[in-house]
Amino acid sequence: MTHEHQGGARGWSAARKGVWSRLRFTSLRLRLVVVFGLVALTAAVSASGIAYWLNRESVLTRTQDAVLRDFEREMQNRAGALPQHPTQDELQRAAGQMANSSQRFTVLLVATDPDGRTVYGSSGGLNGFSLQDVPVSLRDAVTERQKITSTNKYPHHMYWLRTVDEDTPYLVAGTRVIGGGPTGYMLKSLEPEAKDLNSLAWSLGIATALALIGSALLAHAAATTVLKPVQRLGVAARRLGEGKLDTRLRVSGTDELADLSHTFNKAAEALEKRVADMAARDEASRRFVADMSHELRTPLTAITAVTEVLEEELEFEGGGIDPMIEPAVRLVVSETRRLNDLVENLMEVTRFDAGTARLVLDDVDVADQITACIDARAWLDAVDLDAERGIHARIDPRRLDVILANLIGNALKHGGSPVRVAVREDPGEDGEGAGDGGTVVIEVRDHGPGIPEEVLPHVFDRFYKASASRPRSEGSGLGLSIALENAHIHGGEITAANSPEGGAVFTLRLPRDVSARSSEDPTGDAGDEGAEGDA
Amino acid sequence: MAPVPSLLLIEDDDAIRTALELSLTRQGHRVATAASGEDGLKLLREQRPDLIVLDVMLPGIDGFEVCRRIRRTDQLPIILLTARNDDIDVVVGLESGADDYVVKPVQGRVLDARIRAVLRRGERESSDSATFGSLVIDRSAMTVTKNGEDLQLTPTELRLLLELSRRPGQALSRQQLLRLVWEHDYLGDSRLVDACVQRLRAKVEDVPSSPTLIRTVRGVGYRLDPPQ
Repeated sequence: MTHEHQGGARGWSAARKGVWSRLRFTSLRLRLVVVFGLVALTAAVSASGIAYWLNRESVLTRTQDAVLRDFEREMQNRAGALPQHPTQDELQRAAGQMANSSQRFTVLLVATDPDGRTVYGSSGGLNGFSLQDVPVSLRDAVTERQKITSTNKYPHHMYWLRTVDEDTPYLVAGTRVIGGGPTGYMLKSLEPEAKDLNSLAWSLGIATALALIGSALLAHAAATTVLKPVQRLGVAARRLGEGKLDTRLRVSGTDELADLSHTFNKAAEALEKRVADMAARDEASRRFVADMSHELRTPLTAITAVTEVLEEELEFEGGGIDPMIEPAVRLVVSETRRLNDLVENLMEVTRFDAGTARLVLDDVDVADQITACIDARAWLDAVDLDAERGIHARIDPRRLDVILANLIGNALKHGGSPVRVAVREDPGEDGEGAGDGGTVVIEVRDHGPGIPEEVLPHVFDRFYKASASRPRSEGSGLGLSIALENAHIHGGEITAANSPEGGAVFTLRLPRDVSARSSEDPTGDAGDEGAEGDA
Repeated sequence: MAPVPSLLLIEDDDAIRTALELSLTRQGHRVATAASGEDGLKLLREQRPDLIVLDVMLPGIDGFEVCRRIRRTDQLPIILLTARNDDIDVVVGLESGADDYVVKPVQGRVLDARIRAVLRRGERESSDSATFGSLVIDRSAMTVTKNGEDLQLTPTELRLLLELSRRPGQALSRQQLLRLVWEHDYLGDSRLVDACVQRLRAKVEDVPSSPTLIRTVRGVGYRLDPPQ
């Protein structure tokens, strides 16, 4: 369960990371769009604001001038022609005539009739224009009699103002006929003008919106032209990181990005050359080791055959060998065997490095293989085997033997007996992709002091010795490395750890059926892994 | 069969030839040596050895070619000495008709054990015969006839057929066959069995590509079907 949870959390955080990186990636785009939008908005709003304001003033002023001129003329012509104290009927008729002028305004005339009563004459329309509709300030200004000075020749002037009644703008004006005539008020609806101005405002708003959208699109395009090469650069850099060193960018144009691409290409080229150089040198040294071990084999074959003869002489009772030179012969015999092992291991390593190692698969009983391996090396007394027969696996028996011999041999040498070897089956976790066969887990545990923490990461290194001062041991220094390579070529793994109860634990995991697991050539992979491990 | 087996060792390297000759002689074999494939083939005709130990890397005609030429006329056992146990060498060697192989650097005792195991394959045993369709195996005469004609089998092929025919209808794993026929330990190379079965099929089956006698049992090994 814990494992699943961990997996889930990891998946979630990975998803979040993905979202974050995308957001971060688009932020340049976002910023560009925002800035472009702001600039466009400011420009469009101020331009249309000014245009609207100018237009409004000129339209209103023109209308107003025409209306007022008309009203003034009508006042002079019609109201001025009235007697000083007209009757209600006269006033009403005059108001109607005035309202019939070309400007279509509503007129209200106020006067006192011959009886001293205030009479009103209205042209009707506009819901009955009454004195209440005229703002008090205007009435006061109109009725107030002003001093006549050099600059002000008349006691009464025409006054006007704009009001809004129920969302409809009106122009209200009033004046008094000089010399005690009726007071006239005029109400003109400015709705047509307001409508015109409204539609102008709409047009300007739409234009602003269009400018905004246009600027956003422009910003987007600009961002794309910048980000496309950046993205290409990112992809190329990732490919380069994945080891595809022949990755190059197409350089177009002469801008900074092209310059960057050019630099990238040069860096990739230099890197490729360097890696190729190193690979060539590596290859040469590997071939040298391979050739050398080949060459060593021929004399070794001859020497081995002869040392066996010497060995038999040693074992022969009452031997034919001079006791004086017997130690020398023994040394030659034992060191020849060592040299043999070393060359054998070197050959094995070079085969892994060259990627020519192949699996020879067979169906085997794992417990039988372990028993045979222990038995063949006379380790039965020192090894405590906990394995049930019946765990079958399709593996390379020779390579399993190499792994086991190295792990158990290492445990016996450094840990001391009893060494415990346990085999169990892992039905295969769904996440591991271990195939349908599951995994065979072989655990080799010793009862020694364990492996020091600082040594633990290096136990599989070639020729790694726990301490420089340690005397050379029996082994070639390649054993665990070869065991690991042999596990890798099966698609398996070996891990080293210290047991909480003391002692080192080496855990070997092998897929039960290698051929089912990788239908493609498994050795190519193993060769690569070997090369990686070596680097 | 001569009481002391006589061997022909074909090996170009002087040191190895001398050392192996010394070692094998001490193990009680009669050893004749040749430094090249051509010399080896000439000696073979003159001396009629019981077994050939053949190096793969030879000047002139190489070990594989020598092996193939011997097989054209002779069924005597051949053990290859491969300098590398690179798989291609082993496979090509087994295909060209070798009975077994030993990887250099060779231990004299291992080579001796292999030689003795191969030689034992030709020894006679119980006197009875078995018939599988048109195939008649005469265990007393150590001969196999198909449709009345004598088949030329190497001792290894013959031993493999005998072991299979002793348990008709029963599948034998490659490891079992390696122990029974080659007397290898638990690390025997299963390709020896596969290569030998291929060669045997080529000789005893009517259509080698669709065998009716020696059947492959997937995941296990091989089985000789009893006569229908």
